[in-house]
Amino acid sequence: MIDVQNVVKAYDSVKAVDGISFQAKPGEIFGLIGPNGAGKSTTIRMIMNIMAPDSGSIRLDGRPLAEKDKARIGYLPEERGLYKKMKVGDMLAFLAEIKEADRQASAERADEWLRRFDLLDWKGRKIEELSKGMAQKVQFIGTVAHDPDVLLFDEPFSGLDPVSQDLLLEAMLELKAAGKTVLFSTHIMDHAERICERILLINKGKAVASGALADLKRRFGADAARVEYDGDGAFIERLPYVKSCRSFPRWTEVELDGPDAADALYRDLAGKVRVRRFELLEPSLHSIFIRLVGGESEGADRA
Amino acid sequence: MRKLLAVAKREFKAAAANKTFVIMTILGPFLILAITVLPTLLNNDPKIASSGKPVAIYAERDDAGAYLGAAFESQKIPSVRVEDASRAKERVLSGEYAGLVEVPARWPDEEARYYSATGTDAALFGTSQGVLGALATELRVAEAGLSPEAASRLLSKPGFRVVKLGADLSEETKTDRDFMAVLFTALSFVMMIYMTVLLYGQMIGRSVVQEKTGKTVEVMLSSLSSRDLMFGKILGLGLAGMLQYGVWMGMGVLMIKVVGPLFSLSLPAAVTVGNFGWLVFFFLLAFFLYAAGYAALGAAAEDEYHLGQLAWPLILFLVIPMVMISTMILNPQSPLVLGLSYFPMTAPIVMLVRILVSAPAWWEVAASVGAILLAIIGVGFLGAKIFRVGILMTGKRPKIGEVLRWARLK
Repeated sequence: MIDVQNVVKAYDSVKAVDGISFQAKPGEIFGLIGPNGAGKSTTIRMIMNIMAPDSGSIRLDGRPLAEKDKARIGYLPEERGLYKKMKVGDMLAFLAEIKEADRQASAERADEWLRRFDLLDWKGRKIEELSKGMAQKVQFIGTVAHDPDVLLFDEPFSGLDPVSQDLLLEAMLELKAAGKTVLFSTHIMDHAERICERILLINKGKAVASGALADLKRRFGADAARVEYDGDGAFIERLPYVKSCRSFPRWTEVELDGPDAADALYRDLAGKVRVRRFELLEPSLHSIFIRLVGGESEGADRA
Repeated sequence: MRKLLAVAKREFKAAAANKTFVIMTILGPFLILAITVLPTLLNNDPKIASSGKPVAIYAERDDAGAYLGAAFESQKIPSVRVEDASRAKERVLSGEYAGLVEVPARWPDEEARYYSATGTDAALFGTSQGVLGALATELRVAEAGLSPEAASRLLSKPGFRVVKLGADLSEETKTDRDFMAVLFTALSFVMMIYMTVLLYGQMIGRSVVQEKTGKTVEVMLSSLSSRDLMFGKILGLGLAGMLQYGVWMGMGVLMIKVVGPLFSLSLPAAVTVGNFGWLVFFFLLAFFLYAAGYAALGAAAEDEYHLGQLAWPLILFLVIPMVMISTMILNPQSPLVLGLSYFPMTAPIVMLVRILVSAPAWWEVAASVGAILLAIIGVGFLGAKIFRVGILMTGKRPKIGEVLRWARLK
């Protein structure tokens, strides 16, 4: 279990991480979510003991991280890097070697992953010959091939095509099922929604919200509805409890000022237009985030 | 330890599979050949050094012409008597003749001249000058009416011998040629240390910088400590250096023990198996000292250009002994040379030259080696600290104050 308590890290005068606390447990995928520059990478680097926090504590299974714990951890840094002149197979063997892993077992695991990512034919080629996406997959394999208990993935999906992203999501779910502690960071809410149980939303170094994703969604309530109807729906926008209304070709999304307003909307629609479908929408992680940070990071979020 | 060895193995492979490494390793023995066999061959046979073109002799006195011809012949340099001086000058310019010696009728009261297209062919004009000088003395002695016995007595030089005392008071006669041999050997040894230390130092510096620019550093530090990374690199490249020196040593010993006796070449006295041993020993000391320094600079540098800028003080310390080499050989006991042989950054090269030239006491060598070892520990320690903090710094050039602050960090 990774236990981060009240960690602070400042660069010059800017507080990159300001009092962050969370716990990531075995058998779960914990998401560290926030826009670029929120402090995600700094937090992960501190967990990895690459940087020391100014204050606060970071513990792995109740103890501060020691040099020998590094063998139990797999770390995929945001700044990917492999030795360009090395062959894929040699690189993976080297990465397992510096984790002091069992040579044969980790080589077998690496081959299995290479097969899965369709890279087995590239094992004898140099890293510099690979495409960026391939190199990224090799780096992922290097992170998991020594079979660590704890996995830290910093922006694991950036630079991957959708098919590869799905492969990676699937792989991460398997790691979770195998009882590993998986911590990952992303600025893409969709990825977090698909695989995380619990998340920590951070912005400008500070925690904005945290907890189980389902609880979070419940807390922010279902206060939007998607309506499909025939007829003139121009009046919807003018209803007193409707905050905003966005029309799409096939449906309209209506944002309401409270959970109770949904009933009122349903009643008001009846008779005026012919309703084909009425659905309450769960708030997306994205919309929760926007609401929490007041939209100020919306631009960065899409970057 | 397994981690450190893994890094060392990787660095060794990366270095030894390098083109520069292969070329240096192959060319090194030729350098050894050049310093051992070539000077001897040149001394034995001046023809190797000459162009093979004849020297023209225009002599209005027959005795001088005959003397010059005989002297050139004894040195296996072809010569030819010519009747037309101005035509001969044209042929010197066109490259037909190596040079032209002109002796006028009124010589030795009037000067003789040597013409060549370069003015630098000292072997040829030196021979001419020597021969004519001897002839002139002979003529003037005869003119003065002295008997040949009195003349030879007058002209003979008193005996003088230069003796090198060994550590056990053993005596060894030295000649000018010995001085040249020591100079050549020392210069070659110093050059080899200079080149290899610079080469491997820069390789280490670059390898550290590349961890940053190639973004591999975070992956590395997530698996091992910065200390393992730094010393792994130094060990790996050090092994590559030892492999290279091993090949060179083997060639050198082969030259001394097999090729030399086989072709009955008299090798320069300073080229001995023992001296090759000292060369490797001091290379290793210099290597570890400069490797630690370069690793620290690599960690503090932003990119390879920046590393080049930071590295000049290190290069300066390597260059000082190079510049001072003749001082070190001519005057190995001068306070400056003694001082530099105990100053760690220059000691490896200066003490090596002192050992080649003179016979420093064992405690002098021990003190010098001790100073170097202490410095290796000091620089290694400092380097590891700068490495720990500096290796993650990117995109911003650290100031000197910052570097010193890193050194104090725990």
